[in-house]
Amino acid sequence: MLSPYRVLDLTTERGLLCGQILADLGADVIKVEPPGGSSARKLGPFYQDQDEAENSLYWWAYNRNKRAITLDITTTEGQEILRRLAKSVHFLVESENPGTLAKYALSYGDLAQENPGLIYVSITPFGQDGPKASYADSDLIILACSGPLVLTGDEDRPPVRLSVPQGYLHASAAAAPAALIALYESHRSNKGQHIDISAQQAAAQASQSSILCAPLHEADVRRMAGGAKMGPLAIRLLWPAKDGHVSIAFLFGSAFAHFTKRLMDWIYEEGGCDKEVQEMDWVGMGGLLFSNDPKTVEDYERLKLIVEDFTQSRTKEELFRNARERGLLLAPVTTIEEVTHSEQLESRDYWTSVNHEELGKAFRYPGPFAKFSERPITYRRRPPRIGEHNAEVYTELGMSDQEVTELQNKGII
Amino acid sequence: MPDGQHTDTESNQALAGVKVLDFMWAMAGPGSTRILADYGATVVRVESTTRFDAVRMVGPFQNKQPGPNNSGLFNNLNTGKLPITLNLSKPEAGQVIRDLVRWADVVTESFSPKAMRAWGFDYESLKKIKPDIIMLSTCLMGQTGPHANFAGFGNLAAAVSGFFDPTGWPDRAPAGPFGAYTDYIAPWYNAASILAALEHKHQTGKGQHIDLAQAEAALHFLAPFLLDQSANGRTQTRMGNRDLNFAPHGVYQAAGDDRWVAIGVESDDQWRALCQVMNRSDLGRDERFATVKGRLANQDELDKAINEWTSQHGPYDAEDKLQAQHVPASAVETMLEQYEDKQLQHRGHFVDLDHPDFGKTTVEASRFKFSRTPAQIRGTAPTLGRENQNVLKNILGYNEDKITELVVAEVLE
Repeated sequence: MLSPYRVLDLTTERGLLCGQILADLGADVIKVEPPGGSSARKLGPFYQDQDEAENSLYWWAYNRNKRAITLDITTTEGQEILRRLAKSVHFLVESENPGTLAKYALSYGDLAQENPGLIYVSITPFGQDGPKASYADSDLIILACSGPLVLTGDEDRPPVRLSVPQGYLHASAAAAPAALIALYESHRSNKGQHIDISAQQAAAQASQSSILCAPLHEADVRRMAGGAKMGPLAIRLLWPAKDGHVSIAFLFGSAFAHFTKRLMDWIYEEGGCDKEVQEMDWVGMGGLLFSNDPKTVEDYERLKLIVEDFTQSRTKEELFRNARERGLLLAPVTTIEEVTHSEQLESRDYWTSVNHEELGKAFRYPGPFAKFSERPITYRRRPPRIGEHNAEVYTELGMSDQEVTELQNKGII
Repeated sequence: MPDGQHTDTESNQALAGVKVLDFMWAMAGPGSTRILADYGATVVRVESTTRFDAVRMVGPFQNKQPGPNNSGLFNNLNTGKLPITLNLSKPEAGQVIRDLVRWADVVTESFSPKAMRAWGFDYESLKKIKPDIIMLSTCLMGQTGPHANFAGFGNLAAAVSGFFDPTGWPDRAPAGPFGAYTDYIAPWYNAASILAALEHKHQTGKGQHIDLAQAEAALHFLAPFLLDQSANGRTQTRMGNRDLNFAPHGVYQAAGDDRWVAIGVESDDQWRALCQVMNRSDLGRDERFATVKGRLANQDELDKAINEWTSQHGPYDAEDKLQAQHVPASAVETMLEQYEDKQLQHRGHFVDLDHPDFGKTTVEASRFKFSRTPAQIRGTAPTLGRENQNVLKNILGYNEDKITELVVAEVLE
């Protein structure tokens, strides 16, 4: 769907996913790396634990369907080449600290002079301006000031993050629809623009609007293992099973009552609770619970124990099978290994084989993020090796073989 | 001027003229169309007063008062849309829907797969009404497969797609990410998919059907671990706040009750700067810690030393002292403190809306900034059925008699 468009992807590990989404949608994405390779190639885990640039599974994860060139944009000659490249592209995505590319005369303003249709996307920790714009950053820093950290973890230990860094993934995934909104607009105006993405603001989406507690005059929300504390309320989403855990949206009010009723009916059928509990008013309980009605809060605590007794004597499979048959809001907590064996993903042909010819092997990658009836996403290219497409891309730019060799000798590409 | 009509400023918005008929509910779906509405798309959002969106009864609530028009979460996800109420069990409602389909470019829905078919609004039926319609169907597990009709919220998709297991402490049960985690990932992919389909229609005149499984899109946020499984056969799991590539890396105790500071050191320079700030030049000189390899091997010792220093400092004091020396550090902000975050304030992240009952309420701004066609938040909370008259009259061109008939037949409920 995006095959008419070319993207220059200058991002580090902060922004790789944006270009990959555009590449999956068909765009010709050219990953520009410094000679020697992107810093993202230093990130593990590594294939066969061999700590080398071509073996970074982090690199593999976010660069398929892209071509790759090397270019040293800290040299004036490199900057000149990038300006030439930028004349013929529709998008440029970058994730340098604010002001870095301006030093090289590669800012939006610099490049838009020659290419007014250019859509220039900047992905940074805090956005292009403001008191934290030049902060030193890493994934934990983003999560600490956008919400997810304070909301996650056991009460008696420090707040905790998901072990795969998430902050910049939100920012770089957000950058994809942003770039496409600008594309839609450019058909009308024939003009591009600059898009400024803040990872802090993007990741704040994961606070589930708890970030609004202060202006709404709501109670604070805090972390709790397997749930969250909303004011005095301990909302529980995680329950033990015989062989692991399950998550249940054990909630009340008009939208949840029928699910909760079905769960309590099942528990009653199996002798896990008495008639009085089975017939509680699951609709009314929602409002009462959120108003912290003392009797309701007490009931909720008692119900949690009833559900726990019930789930912990059953396997994840038994609970999930019943959830599907009875229409319950219950799902098993799966390990990464279990995910790769999911019968649902298998039946949808989700896992997609990507051939790494130089390793003589194909690997199963997470598959297309959506199924499009008109132009299905295909995995056309494995993640590129350092400078793999230098000759191809620089020739397209009109350079002779000799020029390319010269630049190579000077260490610019 | 009613929201359904475009003022001069609105017609300059990036997505002016894009017409979306939105059946989505809960979080992942509405979060996607909120992005489109921010940039000028007209989004008509269908609900029923007899079974309104579950999220209307999920907090945070304005002034702690639960009620269908008071949910800060709902308002945040749906601001800028045109909310109408239709009772889909009435035959006349079907006619209104068909008229809206004729008007729309895009139809979005997030029910379980059988629901739209049961109402006669599946893609094949919609295509008969409007051949070039774009339809996005997004549910937890996708439109096909043995679990297709497994309905639920993002906490369940997060559990079943491996997000709980790698979140928490290795010696304890998983803590799980906060709330309905995959609901915060899917909007980026939903919005990108709709925009890519609009681009395809721009090129070819053709609509299409998009099947986006929330779980499948979200798995890209676990891709490095999934590839470690498929390429190395190694199952990654939760590791607290530690990182595969960097050390020291953690959330450390600060002075105060349940106060924390996040520190993620990503280079040797940052490590030496951290030691300097802590007045621990002995650590900075220690050969064992000079490289990341050494630091990764000695994390317990490093964490102990850092905790000793941080526990003597308030979280913001520690942040200031460390950031002054370019060490990635941040106070772990509470939800209430986020409203005071100087960077979020600078970026205008909190936006006030008119509210019929409270005078005003607050939502979050767009998560990105466009230089030429900025987001515009239309200023009234999306209360139930607020735009019934506007949509029927100005969008569908119904006359007063026809609207009265619908009111009398209890269709607008």
